[in-house]
Formats: sequence, structure tokens, C-alpha cells
Amino acid sequence: MSGQTKMFGEKAFDLLKELERSSQTIPAFDDDGVRQVLEEIKAIFEENVAQASTYNASGDRSLWPLLNFRHAALQRNKRCLLAYLYERCKRIKALRWEFGPIIPGDIKQALCEPEVTFFNNYSKSLAAYMCSAGYNQGLPIDLTNNLRPPKSLYIEVRCMEDYGKFELDDGEVIHLKKNSQHYLPRAQVESLVRQGILHHIA
Amino acid sequence: MSDVEDVPETQLEIDDTEGAELEDEDDDMEQITAQKVLEILETAWINEMCAPEILPSQADMLELMVSQVAHMEEQMRDLDKNDFRAVVHSMELERVRYIMASYLRCRLQKIETFTQHILNQEAGREPDDKRLSPEETKFAQEFASNLDEYFHKVATQYMPNQQRGEAEQRIVTPNLMSHVFLKANVAVPAVIVGVDDEEVDMAAGSQHIIPYQLVADLIQNNQAQLI
Repeated sequence: MSGQTKMFGEKAFDLLKELERSSQTIPAFDDDGVRQVLEEIKAIFEENVAQASTYNASGDRSLWPLLNFRHAALQRNKRCLLAYLYERCKRIKALRWEFGPIIPGDIKQALCEPEVTFFNNYSKSLAAYMCSAGYNQGLPIDLTNNLRPPKSLYIEVRCMEDYGKFELDDGEVIHLKKNSQHYLPRAQVESLVRQGILHHIA
Repeated sequence: MSDVEDVPETQLEIDDTEGAELEDEDDDMEQITAQKVLEILETAWINEMCAPEILPSQADMLELMVSQVAHMEEQMRDLDKNDFRAVVHSMELERVRYIMASYLRCRLQKIETFTQHILNQEAGREPDDKRLSPEETKFAQEFASNLDEYFHKVATQYMPNQQRGEAEQRIVTPNLMSHVFLKANVAVPAVIVGVDDEEVDMAAGSQHIIPYQLVADLIQNNQAQLI
């Protein structure tokens, strides 16, 4: 245990601080940090168990505060660790709303394997829910669309990269070439705007 | 004579001409106008956005609205694209769609945040009182087990045994005492505010700031609405 030089719970707090301060969408999963915190929890717990049995046997009241203190440290570690994971969960959920059912490659590297599983399951439940939300009309409501209140039917967009052909609902096909500007129905291009392929001009 | 009771409703349907959707509504079997459905949905949407806890689901209204929107779209197809009416109608449809999507999103967000709390509450409710639609219940359950599995895989399975059984400490509950803005729809006499049984009479149309829990039942009975 690193308790010789460091206080209890410091590492756990570091985990949270780093996550909070990072400007990335989601920083890489801190495998090492999580392991250290878990080890600290385990070490504290074992010490406590050992001393608790001495305490029970001898009834030495002087051990009582120490036991309490360790327990508090343990709780704090646990809480920080779970908060860390929960915050990451939240960001992973946000990914689903932002990028759709497939995680972009560079972000995927930042996730650990259980997190990818979590994302996939979440994505599946959400998709299932969205399908059923359209009820028997066969018209699933795409909840990830319509994220902002509509101001106008059409928006002016500039194309940021060569996307190729894009077919509108009424069958009209337009060519999205880099730097070309178009005046398109907002509802149909919203996802492209969010992916950064189109840029909404004013 | 037995039909008399239905008459006001049907009249409503004829009288009410301000809604953009109304003209297509006459063959609908429901005794409720599209305008009314939209109003109910809008209120539900605003209430849901403002209330700290999840409110009863308006799945029926939503279903009506979805079919109405589909119906409208069907009719719009025959209209010329540049017809002024087509533009107005499709803008209106966009708005309706946004409200529905936003409403469902808002509920999902609450479900995700308070998953376990909501599931526990639902378990204690009669089938008629359930606040979640079946789809939402399914989503909530899946989400809860998904989250648990994730926690278990990454962390809790490595923790000492005695430390695991504290999942109930992690339940996130909404703060029901958070203050909300509300408007009384009808006059409500003697609403208890504050801890010392202080009472306030709300006049119809009056607006108040009050902790949510004290007025939660008024909102559910539609005596007041959040703003």
C-alpha cells in the first residue's frame, strides 16, 4: 500500500479530478488508477478486519477510533471510485446521442471493455425503445433527431467534406461536395450536421 | 336521450377551427380533437420538463398524436410543395414532432438518472397507477441491469464482500422539495405550504413558487400546471 507517503483516498480523488478537468470527450480509462484504488480499499479492509478481531477479543477501546477512521476512508474510496465510473457512464451515454450506434474509432480506444459492452447494451435498449415508441404506426420516432426546437423548415448548410450523393425524402438527389452550400430541409440533414459533415451557417 | 352526453364533445370538434391539424380530424373515432390532444401533450411536456420526479406517462395521447401526424403527412403528399399551406403545415408538424421527441427524451433522462428509485416505486404501484409505459419499464429494467453489470465488472466484484451489499445506498432520488413555478388552472382553496401547516388559497390563473412535493397532487389532477 502506498499509505506511507500518501493519505488514504488521494488516488481516488485524483481519478475524479482528472476526469473533471479533461477537455476531451472522454479521457482514456485509467486502468492503473482504478486498480490502485481497489487495492487500497482491499488493504484497508484487511487491516480493519484483522484489528476488529483483536478488538473483539481484547475489548481494547483505543482501537475504536482507528477502526472508524479506516471505515470512513474505505467508504470514501468506494464512493469516489463509483462516482468516477458513473461519470464515465454518463459520458458514454452522451456518445450514443451524439454519434449514433457506432463509436468512432479514436474514442473507442479510450474505453475499457466493460464500457464498450455497456455502450452496446445501452444503444440496443435505446433503439428498441425508440422503435416501440412509434407504436403500431410503423413510424418509429427518432429521439436523437429534433434535438432543438425548430426555427425554420430549411436551413442553410455548408458542406465540410466530400460526402457524395444524398437523397432527400421526396426523391431529389443532391451532391454534397466540399465547400458547396445548400438550402435543405432541417429535419433531414440534422444528423449530418451533428456528424460534422455539414455546417449550419447562421 | 342516451346520446345527449356525447353532444358537447362532438360540438367541440366542429367549433374548434384554430388548430392547423383540425380539418383532417372528422373521421377519427376518438371523441377528442387533435387540438385538444396537442394541448394535453404540451402541458404534459412542460410539466415533465419542470417537475423533479417522473410523471404519469401520456402514452395514449402520444399514440393519438403519432397517428395524427402520420395522417397529416399522408395528406400533405398531395399538396404542391410550394403551396403556402404545405409550408405552414410542415412547420407545424416539425413543432409537434419536436414536442413529442423532447417529451420522451426528458422522461428517458429521468429514468436514466433515477432508475432504481423509479423501478422501486413502480413495483409498489397498482397496474392502473403505473407511471411508466411498458416500453419505458422495459428500458428502465434493461438500463438498471446494464449499469449494475458494468459496475460489477469494473469495480464491485473486486471489493471485499461486506462492501458490496450497499447498492441501495447508491440509489439516486429526485429532490421533491425543489421549488417549481406553477400556475393554478382552477381556484384551489387551502393548499398547505411550509411545515407549520400554513395555508394559501390559489386563485385561478395565479402563479406561485412552491416546493414541488406540496403541489404534486394538484399537478396530477390537472388543477395546476408547471410553468
